[in-house]
Amino acid sequence: MRVGRKIALVGGVPILVAAAIAAAGWFLLAEGERARAGALLAARVYHDLTLARLVRDDSVSARADARAAIETRFFDLTARAGRGLEALQNQARTRSQAERAAAARQSLDRYVARMRDFSAVARENDGLIAEMGQRANRLTDLAEQARQRQQASNVDLAWTMTGKVNRLRATREVVAGLNAVLAAAWQGALARQRGEAAARSERTRLVHAGRDLAAALRATSRETEATEAEGLTASDPPPGDRLTEWGERWLKIVTSEQRTLDDAVAQLLAYAGEANATEQATQNIGIATLKLGQRTAEALARRDAEAVSAMLGEGERLSASASALPISPLIQSDMIEAIDGWRARLATTIDGLKRQNAMIAEMDGLAAGLSEAARALNDDAVEDADRFGTFLGRLLLAGAAIGLLLGALVALAVARSILVPLRQLQGDMIALAADPKAEGLSGTQRTDELGDIARATNFFVTEIGRRERALRRAKDQADTALTDLHQAQDDLIRAEKLASLGQLVAGVAHEINTPLGIALTTATLVRDETRTFQGLVAAGTLSRSRLTHFVDRVGEGTQLLCANLTRAADLVHGFKQVAVDRASDERRSFDLDVWFGELLASLQPMLRKGGHRIQRDVPPGIVVDTYPGVLAQVVTNLVANAVVHGFAGAERPGTITVRVSAPGALVRLEVSDDGGGIAPEYLGRIFDPFFTTARSRGSTGLGMHIVHNLVTAKLQGRIAIESEPGRGTLVRLDFPRAPGGPERPGAARWPSGAEAR
Amino acid sequence: MRRLVHAALLTLALLIGAAPGQARTLVYCSEGNPESLDPGLVTTTTAMSVTWQMFNSLVEFAPGTTDLRPALAESWEVSDGGRTYDFTLRAGVRFHANAGFTPSRPLNADDVLFSFLRQWQPDHPYHRVGGDFAYFRDLGLAGQIEGIERLDDRRVRFRLKEPDATFLPNLAQAFGSILSAEYAEHLARRGAQAELARAPIGTGPFRFVAYRPDVAVRYYRFPDYWRRSADAGQSPIEGLVFSITPNTAVRLTKLKAGECHVMAFPGTADLDAVRADPDLTLFSGEELNVAYLALNTTRPPMTDLRVRRAISLAIDRRAIVEAVYGPAGTVARNPLPPSSWAFHRDLPEPAFDREAAARLLAEAGFPEGFETDLWFLPVSRPYNPDGRRVADMIRADLARIGIRARLTTRDWNAYRAALYGGAPTMMLYGWTSDNGDPDNFLNVLLGCRAAAPGGANLARWCDAGYDAAVLDARRTDARETRTRLYRDAQARFREAVPWVPLAHTIVHMAARRSVRGFRTDPLGRTLFEGVTLAD
Repeated sequence: MRVGRKIALVGGVPILVAAAIAAAGWFLLAEGERARAGALLAARVYHDLTLARLVRDDSVSARADARAAIETRFFDLTARAGRGLEALQNQARTRSQAERAAAARQSLDRYVARMRDFSAVARENDGLIAEMGQRANRLTDLAEQARQRQQASNVDLAWTMTGKVNRLRATREVVAGLNAVLAAAWQGALARQRGEAAARSERTRLVHAGRDLAAALRATSRETEATEAEGLTASDPPPGDRLTEWGERWLKIVTSEQRTLDDAVAQLLAYAGEANATEQATQNIGIATLKLGQRTAEALARRDAEAVSAMLGEGERLSASASALPISPLIQSDMIEAIDGWRARLATTIDGLKRQNAMIAEMDGLAAGLSEAARALNDDAVEDADRFGTFLGRLLLAGAAIGLLLGALVALAVARSILVPLRQLQGDMIALAADPKAEGLSGTQRTDELGDIARATNFFVTEIGRRERALRRAKDQADTALTDLHQAQDDLIRAEKLASLGQLVAGVAHEINTPLGIALTTATLVRDETRTFQGLVAAGTLSRSRLTHFVDRVGEGTQLLCANLTRAADLVHGFKQVAVDRASDERRSFDLDVWFGELLASLQPMLRKGGHRIQRDVPPGIVVDTYPGVLAQVVTNLVANAVVHGFAGAERPGTITVRVSAPGALVRLEVSDDGGGIAPEYLGRIFDPFFTTARSRGSTGLGMHIVHNLVTAKLQGRIAIESEPGRGTLVRLDFPRAPGGPERPGAARWPSGAEAR
Repeated sequence: MRRLVHAALLTLALLIGAAPGQARTLVYCSEGNPESLDPGLVTTTTAMSVTWQMFNSLVEFAPGTTDLRPALAESWEVSDGGRTYDFTLRAGVRFHANAGFTPSRPLNADDVLFSFLRQWQPDHPYHRVGGDFAYFRDLGLAGQIEGIERLDDRRVRFRLKEPDATFLPNLAQAFGSILSAEYAEHLARRGAQAELARAPIGTGPFRFVAYRPDVAVRYYRFPDYWRRSADAGQSPIEGLVFSITPNTAVRLTKLKAGECHVMAFPGTADLDAVRADPDLTLFSGEELNVAYLALNTTRPPMTDLRVRRAISLAIDRRAIVEAVYGPAGTVARNPLPPSSWAFHRDLPEPAFDREAAARLLAEAGFPEGFETDLWFLPVSRPYNPDGRRVADMIRADLARIGIRARLTTRDWNAYRAALYGGAPTMMLYGWTSDNGDPDNFLNVLLGCRAAAPGGANLARWCDAGYDAAVLDARRTDARETRTRLYRDAQARFREAVPWVPLAHTIVHMAARRSVRGFRTDPLGRTLFEGVTLAD
């Protein structure tokens, strides 16, 4: 696995764990939140249900007109609770919760259905109670009507009774009158039997009795009978049997009437009492009914079915007494019907009440169950929420621990998986450093960054090797180049030497060139004459003239040749020593005065060209043991520089002065000129190799450099230069008479300022 | 207290809405207790009127008349020379229901069979329940009927042994009322057969609610009554009460006080007062009735024809009629009222001759007279408004010939029972025709069949010649033959004097002006079907 991935793993595992914890935490929090929301919802449902229960209790005890509003409130509350339960059911986290919520909803539905039944029954009962009230009301109305009728009846009864009593009194009068008449008639009959006097007085008595009877009969509206009575009693003599018969008949009639009237009065009196009893009974029934109604209403309000049932029994007794008592038949039926209706409704009401009580009990049970369910849901939810919280805490703790552990393990593993190859790499690299040729790094075949590193390190090592080799090669090359350089320097110096030699040679050549040129031309002419002669000879056309001419010519030529060649030989001989010195590096002891004489002579051709001249100021006797070739080259170069540079452009021939002094162990040699001098800006660079202001004139720029090197290295001396433009140049050399030890390794200035001083 | 309660109730009533209109209850102040609520057992117009509210018969007399018309039988056919009657029953006639019973079916032939078989067949399970149906027997129907058959659900056949001119009018009597066989079965299953007469179930315009002796019989309108009242648009009475008020004066007082709407038989002395009262209406109607003093011919000394004649001669009937009946009464000569087509006008008015009476009595061996019992009616009857006074006057008359009459009475039912039982020697009674037929007087009250104990022949008089004439008259429809036979019978009656006929009456009923549709009935029925109360 790649390290990046491993790092990603190391970093990622905690992140993932953290993310997982965060996700779990979020989930738990969400669940907890849900649970808490559920708890809230359940609490609200519980609250609603409790409230609904209270409202229901209100409804139970409410007045009929207030019930509708209360019921509406109840149904609102239960509907809300139902929605709450539905929501709880929907967001229940566990099956049992959902089932509990569903069960609670069903219970609630039943509860509501019961309540609907209850309110239906309540309305029914309200109606019934109202009807009972109406009936009770009707009963009192009836009793009141009966009372009023009875009062009217009492008046009428009194009047009737008075009439009957009056009639009875009158009838008694008639009876008395009839008895009197009959008695008088009997007495009269007896008197007639006794005598006239008595008869008369009896007669008068009969007449009087007859008048009384007539009056009494008239009082009973019996006019005819009154007249009859008067007639019968007034006739004289009285009609004996007829009167008696008439009297008996009427006595029979009137007596029976009297009895009838007696009966009637007695019956009316009885009726009057009965009527009062009736009224009393009616009122009593009414009042009993009202009391019963009130007590029943109270019992109904108390919802005491048992007490109301007792009222039913009382109602039955009341009904029985209402039908038994002599209540006015006009209202008795109504009363009995009212009571029976009341009872029937009461029975229905009791039934309703019992049903209601059963419903209340059922509803209480349901409500208790519901509340319990809501509470349980709430508890559940709260517990859930708590559990989620606890779980969340534990999860965080455990997650953190696990994450840490896992991260640590992964980190360890990853570190190990990185460090081991790294250590391997390190070892490999150390080994590789120790032995570049050793086997490359292991682990290059790995695909991870360590593989990359190994591969990179391999590449690096390879590259370093390659570069080292290249460096070595370059060093070798440099060494070679240095060698070459040294060679080149040597070659240059040799060339310079050769150049100065060449200058010498050139001077020499120039000296001998003329004789040799004449010789060559003469020789050429001779050859050409020869060839022409040979041609003529070959062609056979040789003339005398020609021969003569040829001989003259050759002769002339030979002379010339001899002259010129002798001159050339003399010249060569003169330069022979100079050239030897120049060409050899051998050290020798020589006298400077002598030596300069010879040297300066060899330099004459260079000076001659410009007409310049050299002054020599060399004290004799200064013998040095040094390298004459080197010294010669130095002096030559200085003279050449003066000629080439100092006198360049000069209109007049210059003078070069060579002065030697040997005050101490060191010999001072000064070469000065009266040339143009050196510009101060060039003065510092005068000893730098290849510095020249006259490259165009074929100067190499090595002359002063070589001088400096030869002085410091070969001669082990010092060199200084002084110059001012227009006032000439002075070069001063100080060198030991005999250089000690080996040659100094070359205080070569490359490049350097004019520090030779 | 009352005011408080009133206020509370008023509040309640206001809460509920308007109180319902007062139920319309019509109170009839009747003169006495019904002897039974079973129409098969009733013999008095009092009890018949009680049962007529609840029952219908196959055929009926149109109210106020003696005209027969279909009732529960919508039609009938007479065949086999007047010996076979096939009745077709009205469809969809419903019986009442009560607390214990709800009919499951309308009237059918079974009900007709039950209603008659229980009276006819001595072994019928209901034959001995509550009585022995003496009247059915008195009418001769027990022997006359050969068979009662169910032809189908709605057709019943009566087969008679011989033609009977009184058969249809007899069926129109109270005993011909049709009861519910289903109800009887229902009761039999519960062993409560006696309930048949205590809580009757019929098809009539009113259903029975309660009967309390001496207090009232109460009914409610039967909303499913088969006959639609002509003035159905008017609000019919919802409740009907027979308020039992024996005393005439009290009845009138109640009527005047508005305690009752209709009263039976106002007293003669009060008729003018009733006429004068602007709140009251007097209904008068000639009734086919007779008031009589029956002489128990089986009890000495009434076994002696001379004694009976003496009694008849001793009683001043005119005085009685004048004093007690007033203008409403006429002196009776015969059992038949003068308005009956069979009335024997040629017979003179029985004489009032005390001396002749005394002579006859002496001849009979009672020169010093004798002591006997005289039972008088405890209640006013249409034929006798004041039994006691009549008795008083008779006693006075009899006293004159030496007969000392002990006045005896019982309450109405006991009185009736005693009379039918044959205990009294002399007894005041009377009859209102049940069907207008002479047979209903001459046969039922004086025929030999009715002379058996429990029969309506209170004199227990059985004269073969009389009985033959009466029974012969029954077997034919020919009016002349019948008239002749009945005249013969009346002559025989006059000879034998089993009764002292006292009076025929015009029946008076008094009602409040608000009563509409009420009428008197020649057959003594007090019918409230179709009666309404104006506001």
